[in-house]
Amino acid sequence: MPITYLLILSSMLFSIGVYGVLARQNAVLILLSIELMLNAVNINLVAFSAMFGAEGVAGQVFALFIIAVAAAEVGVGLAIVILIFRNRSNVDVDEMSLMKW
Amino acid sequence: MNSPIDLHAITPELVLAGTACLVLIADLFLPEDGKWLAVPLSAAGLIGTLAAIVSLLGEHRITLDGSFEVNSFSLLFKGLFAIIGLFVLAISLDHFRDGKYYQGEYYFLMLCSLLGGFVIASSRDLISVFIAIELISIPAFVMTGLRKRDSRSNEAALKFFLFGVLSSAVMLYGMSLIYGFTGGLTNLGEISTALAGKADEPIVILSVFFIVVGFAFKISAVPFHFWAPDTYEGAPSPVAAFLSTSSKIGGFVGLLVLMYAAFPSVAEAWRPAFAALAILTMTVGNLIALRQRNIIRLLAYSGIAQSGYVLVTFALIDPNNLDVTRQAFQSALIYLAIYGVMDLGAFAAAVAFARKGGSYFIDDYSGLFQRNPALALMLAGFLISLAGAPPMAGMWAKLFVFLAALEAQSYILAIVMGINAVVAAWYYLAVVKRMFFEQPEAQEPVEVTNVLYAAMAVATVALLAFLPGINFLTEMVERSTPF
Amino acid sequence: MPEGGTYFGQYVTIGIFALVGVVLVLGTLQLAKLVAPNVPDTDKYTTYESGIDPIGSGWAQSNVRYYIFALLFVVFDVEAVFLFPWAIVFERFGTQAFVEMVIFIGILAIALLYAAKKKVLEWQ
Repeated sequence: MPITYLLILSSMLFSIGVYGVLARQNAVLILLSIELMLNAVNINLVAFSAMFGAEGVAGQVFALFIIAVAAAEVGVGLAIVILIFRNRSNVDVDEMSLMKW
Repeated sequence: MNSPIDLHAITPELVLAGTACLVLIADLFLPEDGKWLAVPLSAAGLIGTLAAIVSLLGEHRITLDGSFEVNSFSLLFKGLFAIIGLFVLAISLDHFRDGKYYQGEYYFLMLCSLLGGFVIASSRDLISVFIAIELISIPAFVMTGLRKRDSRSNEAALKFFLFGVLSSAVMLYGMSLIYGFTGGLTNLGEISTALAGKADEPIVILSVFFIVVGFAFKISAVPFHFWAPDTYEGAPSPVAAFLSTSSKIGGFVGLLVLMYAAFPSVAEAWRPAFAALAILTMTVGNLIALRQRNIIRLLAYSGIAQSGYVLVTFALIDPNNLDVTRQAFQSALIYLAIYGVMDLGAFAAAVAFARKGGSYFIDDYSGLFQRNPALALMLAGFLISLAGAPPMAGMWAKLFVFLAALEAQSYILAIVMGINAVVAAWYYLAVVKRMFFEQPEAQEPVEVTNVLYAAMAVATVALLAFLPGINFLTEMVERSTPF
Repeated sequence: MPEGGTYFGQYVTIGIFALVGVVLVLGTLQLAKLVAPNVPDTDKYTTYESGIDPIGSGWAQSNVRYYIFALLFVVFDVEAVFLFPWAIVFERFGTQAFVEMVIFIGILAIALLYAAKKKVLEWQ
């Protein structure tokens, strides 16, 4: 399979993620969109790594690290979201405007 | 490939990581009223780290398959991070002990974030740069939301978290494209060689653009700054002090490493972007700072503007003119080091004032000189330094960037910088004037703890004592070359 | 049926099977609608829930404690991934690799100790 297909797939995933971040109001959905973006990066890295063969091991290692860090980020992110839900019983980011200017 | 790890080269990191683990374990077994002992423990660890850094002075070592480099540049910033850590400990001690929230966890997270700063100063590989920048950010998200029942703290944490994670994702996408374009390279030096002469390739421009945008979020450059003032205001104030110094300087160190080690050969492609970013950041930061009524928000916006001055140096890099590049590099180092000290000093004074008898509102600073002359004098010193006026070190910081801009014949940048310095002086000196020449509304004296006095006094002396050419900082900077 | 020799030829085969599958399911559903008698009344339109009258909304909140377990699992799970590349190079690196992994797992153990001390591992 040509690498172009995989790059197009990953760029589409990335764009969907960016759209989700900008358009969604629910913090959990924004978190999911960011995960999409990170997975787009992983697809890129693994695709390149497969293309380069033995030279491209670093790409897979990079992807592993991204997966681990993303899990840590989701842990922290969900904890923050749950805190907010407990204090105000919704997680709509448009309503987070206690501080302005 | 089976190269032994140079353990001496990574001692500072090892000591710091060990201290962090120790603090967490100790916290589990300490009784409730002994939790503050995490502070002396962390301080001892940081001093041990400083000793390890001193033992490496003058060395040049590369280990971990070329992904970790110890040289004057990385040692300078490791030392700076350790000193920032000590300052933040001093600011935090009473704030957290009286607040009774999650002391052990807070100090553990702070040490972890500092460790990220240590690693990024030595990273010479895309993967370790990424890991280090995440190690700086993730503990910072938690620290921001430490006041669990406070809606503002929650909101600050969520904003910071979403922007932080988004910026990492964007940065990573750029890194993955670079990895693919260079044929599987992650070592920064090799990437630089592979990219030589490729400055007009769209994919290179795009990926560098992505990476710069990712870092622009971290250092809160305009137009990616929205999270910063809200986060600083909502976070516990010592955390705000930490974010605006350690976290921001960490972002700049990452940017310095990437731009000077990985992408100097395509400098034509990204230099204009930095010029635009610098002009926007300085101007917008200063203009919004003019109308702030809360000291933390004032410091947040002034911090954004200060980032702008450092960004100027990135717009001066010229691969064909090594002298100018070196001057730009060194002025950035000096600026960051001085900025760290003066900003922490200002935050320490703000925290000290708000603790007993004051508040975070600038109106309440009226007549502070009559209520606590020492605090007023030192805060005035920090603000004058931030404004870049003599006799404080802030003047030299700005002067070096300004001279570098003139040397590179970037007159527009130099002029914008000069105008901004005047605008900035206006709002800094407005606070100073309020403290000295207006009558206080409340009369009770402002009490400041000895630890805070000591921290502020050390910062003041450091800022007064900086004279280019005859001190340790300039010596270290002289020896740091752009990779 | 096209020749299955080419790479994309095989996809055509899969496509035809997928199409047949979709048509089969949709077709039977439509057929049932056509032949079955349609006599609606209110009892038939209520949601069926094991023969008991349904109460409240369809959204059920699960206990927030599950979240901590789930997170602990996810974090330790992805950390365990690092064991695989390590296992591959273990023989080549010997003692050095062993010590490194002991440190790595030691740090994870501190995290577990922290969780245990904070009493999130037990169900009160």
